[in-house]
Order: sequence, then structure tokens, then C-alpha cells
Amino acid sequence: MKGSSKAIRSRLVLAGAVFLMMFLAVGLRAFQLQIIQGEKLKRLGERQRLQEWTVLPKRGSILDRNGEPLAISLEAQSVYVRPRRLKDPERAAAQLAKALGMRQKQLRRRLKTEKPFVWVKRQVTPREVQRVRALRLAGVGMYYEPKRYYPHGRLAGQMIGFVGSDSQGLEGVEGYYDKFIRGEFGSLVVEQDALGRKVMVQGVERLEVPPGADIHLTLDASIQSLVEKQLEATVTRFRAKAGTAVLVKPFTGEVLAMANFPFFNPNSFTRFPSHRWRNRSVTDSFEPGSTFKIIGAAAALDEGIVGKEDLFYCELGRYSYGGRVIRDEKKHGWLTLDKIMKYSSNIGLTKVVEKLTKDRYFKYIQKFGFGQPTGIDLPGEAKGLVRSPSRWTRVDLAAHAFGQGIAVTPVQLVMAYAAIANGGFLMRPYVVRRVVDSEGKVLVEHESHVVRRVISEKTARELTSILTGVVSDGGTGVRAGMEGFQVAGKTGTAQKADLINGGYLPEKRIASFVGFVPAEDPRMVLLVLLDEPEVSVYGGVVAAPLFRAIARGTLRHLGIGPQWRATMPLPVVSRPKMVRVEDETAAVPRRKRAFGFPNFQGLSMREAVTRASALMLKVTVRGHGYVVGQSPAPGSGWRHGSTLTLTLKDG
Amino acid sequence: MTVALSRRRGAVGSPRRQEKGRAGERDWIGNFLATIFLVACLVSLALVHVWLRLQVIHLGYVLSTTSKLQGQLEQVNRELKLELATLTSPDRLEELARSRLGLREPEQGQVVILP
Repeated sequence: MKGSSKAIRSRLVLAGAVFLMMFLAVGLRAFQLQIIQGEKLKRLGERQRLQEWTVLPKRGSILDRNGEPLAISLEAQSVYVRPRRLKDPERAAAQLAKALGMRQKQLRRRLKTEKPFVWVKRQVTPREVQRVRALRLAGVGMYYEPKRYYPHGRLAGQMIGFVGSDSQGLEGVEGYYDKFIRGEFGSLVVEQDALGRKVMVQGVERLEVPPGADIHLTLDASIQSLVEKQLEATVTRFRAKAGTAVLVKPFTGEVLAMANFPFFNPNSFTRFPSHRWRNRSVTDSFEPGSTFKIIGAAAALDEGIVGKEDLFYCELGRYSYGGRVIRDEKKHGWLTLDKIMKYSSNIGLTKVVEKLTKDRYFKYIQKFGFGQPTGIDLPGEAKGLVRSPSRWTRVDLAAHAFGQGIAVTPVQLVMAYAAIANGGFLMRPYVVRRVVDSEGKVLVEHESHVVRRVISEKTARELTSILTGVVSDGGTGVRAGMEGFQVAGKTGTAQKADLINGGYLPEKRIASFVGFVPAEDPRMVLLVLLDEPEVSVYGGVVAAPLFRAIARGTLRHLGIGPQWRATMPLPVVSRPKMVRVEDETAAVPRRKRAFGFPNFQGLSMREAVTRASALMLKVTVRGHGYVVGQSPAPGSGWRHGSTLTLTLKDG
Repeated sequence: MTVALSRRRGAVGSPRRQEKGRAGERDWIGNFLATIFLVACLVSLALVHVWLRLQVIHLGYVLSTTSKLQGQLEQVNRELKLELATLTSPDRLEELARSRLGLREPEQGQVVILP
């Protein structure tokens, strides 16, 4: 009995020892796993279980003044390779080159590297994605990246700019407003299950990063398209090297269009030489030539030194001055200031600015904004070149008078003419109206900003009158004239400076025209400039018709009709076949109701409105198509200025 | 009454011991029930916790799928905007108007600005 209890006790001790040993072993193993290897194992576990979810920055859109998108971002895929994981680099290079349309030799060289990660092709097409996926190559992967698209292709390419492969704004508005438009990265560590599915137990707050703000431009895509088309046609027709056009609103400084030919397509900017990316309207300066004469005239009139009736002898086209001979294209005798401008006499203007003195003239050059940046919201703006009057020789004063020895940017010149058009205020030009974030909050808003008053309103009116003379019969800019509108403007035919040998190049010219329309109530100021035209070099021949073509289309687009409509003869418009004319004498009052209200029923909208306008009636239109009803009724009493309501219906 | 009760108790055994035994029994049942209740509560809490955890995971899946769907729909929306902008670009419309509809630039007198 005693022996058996002893045996039991020893067995119990043994079992206890075994359990103790086991607990000790488990404890030691736990210590090893939790304390010694704890951090490493935790990391390994997390790597298996957790994954980083990245939200790519969503770049904001760029829209024109009517909300038309000009730049949109989408997510595209980029193909990468981890070379160390490739089993057969030679074969992989051959297959990838075929799938992505790349050179096999070049790709093979890129894959033979010690680098752990190599981009193969960035931002590939959906079809290329499919082809790469079908290859099922180990070590080849794809990564989502934002890609910028410009749906209108080359339209306003230099102004809008473009972004790099990492979505960073590089040029134009894209570069200037990059900090607003680029958006932010978002990332969140999420758990994933055994099948690799993400389980977002932490919520999505950290993934909800706001996209970049949208940029609303002052630019009008339709007007820009018109300007580009006309500019390209003229450059091609006159075999010019390049062309520039800048169109602004004179009372606000908003840029409606800005074109620089040759164009480039920002969707594939790397295929174009870098000089084409430059927005020459703001980055390049040129000698303005005769278009600059208006500054001398403005200074002389504003200072009261020259009256409208004052006569200047133009030396019959040849004038020795300061050791040089100044010439005019045609021989002129005594001319008033408006005739000097009309015929663009260099000699006449030299005599005008001579009366001014160089300090006063320089003051106006500065007041008009030359020699300093305009402050336009575009990168790389040049300030032009205006030398201090202390360094001017006597002949420099004359040269400046007709736009030589001075360099201005197209934007500076167009804003100077805008100052004349709007009654004497120099405005700051701008291309962005608003920057609006994703919640509709306005981050930046540009409104018209007056830099300074440059000339008095009276002077501005006199200058406008002088500039309308330039576009009248006998003036150098007559080809810029339009039926129904009074155009004010000035031609320029500037010699090009020889940057290597000094002096001027004998046959190279810059032909330009800058002006505004309608002269009495300006709605647009336009500068057109052609670099080195070959067919003809004169601004009046090359640039003035281009001005007319652009201005005509723009005014039509802006809904500004000819101002003499009330007195103009009715246009002969053939009646469409579809018209349902119930009364053949429609709008042609019969004798017996000659004084009654005309009948417009059955007429097309165009014809009815034309006739009503000719009768000086105020027209209100409802619907579209053909007139089916009118108020007042035909035959009732009426007078000029009565209101006519037309009801139209599709024929 | 008290006397009768004492007699009845006296018939079974020592009345004090009997009393103590019954009280102990009641305490045991009470403790047992309390333990059962506690265990049931703990089990319920554990089940609720597990259920909540499962719900969180389930919603995590739903959220993940919905986020992905949202991203895809936003991408589709942007693609459609891009397509619309491309299709309505002034150059393309003009080309179509000229080639397909046979339209041309209006003459000066043909343009009537609506009031």
C-alpha cells in the first residue's frame, strides 16, 4: 500500500516535470517568436496581410470661357519590368517589343540592367494593355498613372501648355497654375484576404483626397479655332515663316484668343521641336515698326504739343536727320497728324516726336507699358527692350518714333491699342477667369484690372479717329475695312534686325496690323503679325486682310451685327423651298393696307428679323423655324420702334 | 404556529442544520444561475463581438468594391467627357458641316443677329 502510493507520487512528479518541461519549451518558443523574432515576423505578416492603396492625384480640367473642356486627365497604364525576376530577358524583350510597338534591340539593352525596376513604356493604350496581359510574363507589371488629354489637339497649344510624364505642369497655363490644378496623392494601408481582395475596415476618409481645381479660361474655343485657321491660311498663302495673333477685350483685358503658328499638338509634344512650344505672343519681342507710331501721336496729342490742324512738312519722302536719311514709301508734302498716320509717314512722325522731346516721349512709352511685363498670367513673359533716353542719340528718337530700336511683345502692343480703344486705361491682360476647386469654392478670380490711366479720354477719341482714317480709302490699312463696321487700326512693316552683323536684314520683314472694331464701341482688339512673308512684305497687304477675316468671324460669333443695318438695303435672300407661305404678299404691304402692320407669317426667322430690323422694330423671337404668329397682328397700326413678337415653328 | 413548525422540522433532523442545508442549497442554485447568466452574457458578448467583426469585414469588402466601382465610374465619366469634347471640337464640326451637310460660310447679308 505504502509502495503503491510512492509509485503514484513519483509518477505524478514525473508527469509534472514533463508538463513543466513542455510549458518551458512552449514558453521559450513563445519568447523566441514574440520577443526575439517578434518585429521581423510582424513585418512579414503585415506584408502578407496589408497592402497600400494609393489614389493617384486627379489633375483638374482646363475649360474655355463657355465650359468647353480643353484639357482632361484620365488614368492610363504604364508597363514596368523588374529585370531580376525575368526568367528569359531575351524572349521577354522580343515579346514586349512586339506587344508595345517598340524596338527590340533598344528594349533588350534596357532590360539588361542591375536596376530593380525599369519603365518599359509609359501611358500605353488599352489595346497594348491587353496584349501585355496576354503574355503573362513574370516580372512584368502595370501601374496606373494619370494621362493628360487635349481633346482639341493643337488648339491653343502654346497657351494651354502641357504636362510631363509625371503629370507635372511644364508650359503655359498647365505650368503657371500647376499648384492649383495638380491635385494630391492619397494612400491608405488596407488589409487583404487570402484571395488578395482588399478589406477596407478603416474606412475611406484618407482616400478621399480632393482632386485638383478646374481652370476656367477667358479663351473662347470657337474664336481661337477661327483665329488659328485664318492665321495658318495667311501664313501659307504669303509663305511666311511664322505668324502670331492676339485678340483681347479692350475694357477688361480678357484674352479671347492667342495663336502662334506653326502650332504644335500638346498630346504629343515630344514630336515637335521645343521652339514650337513657346508662346511667342508673350515670350518673344520684336521691333514693332509703324504700329508703334501711335505712341508718338498719343504723346503729342495728350501733351497738347500738336493740334489736329498742325501741318508737318514730309520732305517729299527723304529727310536727312541726325546723320542718317529717313525715307517714306511715298513722297508727301505738308500733312496733318491724321494724314501722317494714314500714310504712315516716317518723316512726319519724326518731326512730331522731335517737338515732344525724348524725355516726354519716353514717359509715354513707359506709361503704355512697354519695357515692363504686362503681368499676364502666363510663364516666361518678356519685358521687351526699351533703352533709357539718356542713351538715345538724336537718330534714336526718330527711330523710336517709327518703331525701330525698340522691342515689344505682341501682348504689350495689343494692350497699348486696347488702352486707346477703351478711352485711355492700360489694362492688365489675363487668360484665367477663375480657378474653382472640386467643391465649387473659387480659389482665384480675376477681374478687369486697370494698371493706370495712360492718356485722356479726349486723346483716346482723337487717336481712334486717326486710326479709322488709316483704314479708310487711301490709307495703308484699307484692306482691314469691313462693310458695316468702322475699323480703327494701324499697319506695320518692320525690318528685321540682323543679330549677327548688326543693322537690318535687307529683305526680311515683319508685317503686322493691330486695331479694334467697332471703332465707336470697341468689342475686340486684335494684333496679327506675320514673320518674314515672302509673297508680299507689307502689313497693309499681308496682315490687314487677315485682321478683317478674323474680326468679321469674331464679331459674328459675339453677336455684333453691322451698325448701318437700319439704312442698309435689304439683302436678296432666296426663300427656302420648305417655307409655307400662306400670304404671298407677306411682309410686302399691299396697297390697300400700306400703312398697316406688315405680315411676317410664313417667313423664315432670318428673313423676318432682317425685315423687322430694317423697319426699326424691336423684335422678340419665340421658337425657331418659320413664323406662324405675330403680335401686333398684320394690318394693325404701328410706328418705328414698336415691339414685334414673332412665334416660330419648324416647317 | 411556531410550535407546529418546530415539530415538523424536528421530525426530519436538527432544525438548525436543516435550515442551513436549505440555505446552502439555495445559495448554490443562485450561484449556479448567476454563473450561467454570466457565462451566457460573456458568450453573447463574444458572439456579438464576432458578429460585429464579421459585419465590419463584410462592410470592408463592400466599401472596397464600391470604392473601386466609384473610381471606374469616374474614369468612364471622364472618358465620356473627353469623347464629347473631341467630337464637338470646332474643327471637326466645321469639317462635318462642310463635307456631310454641304454647308458653307454665310455671306455678309445672310447673317442676322437675333435680338
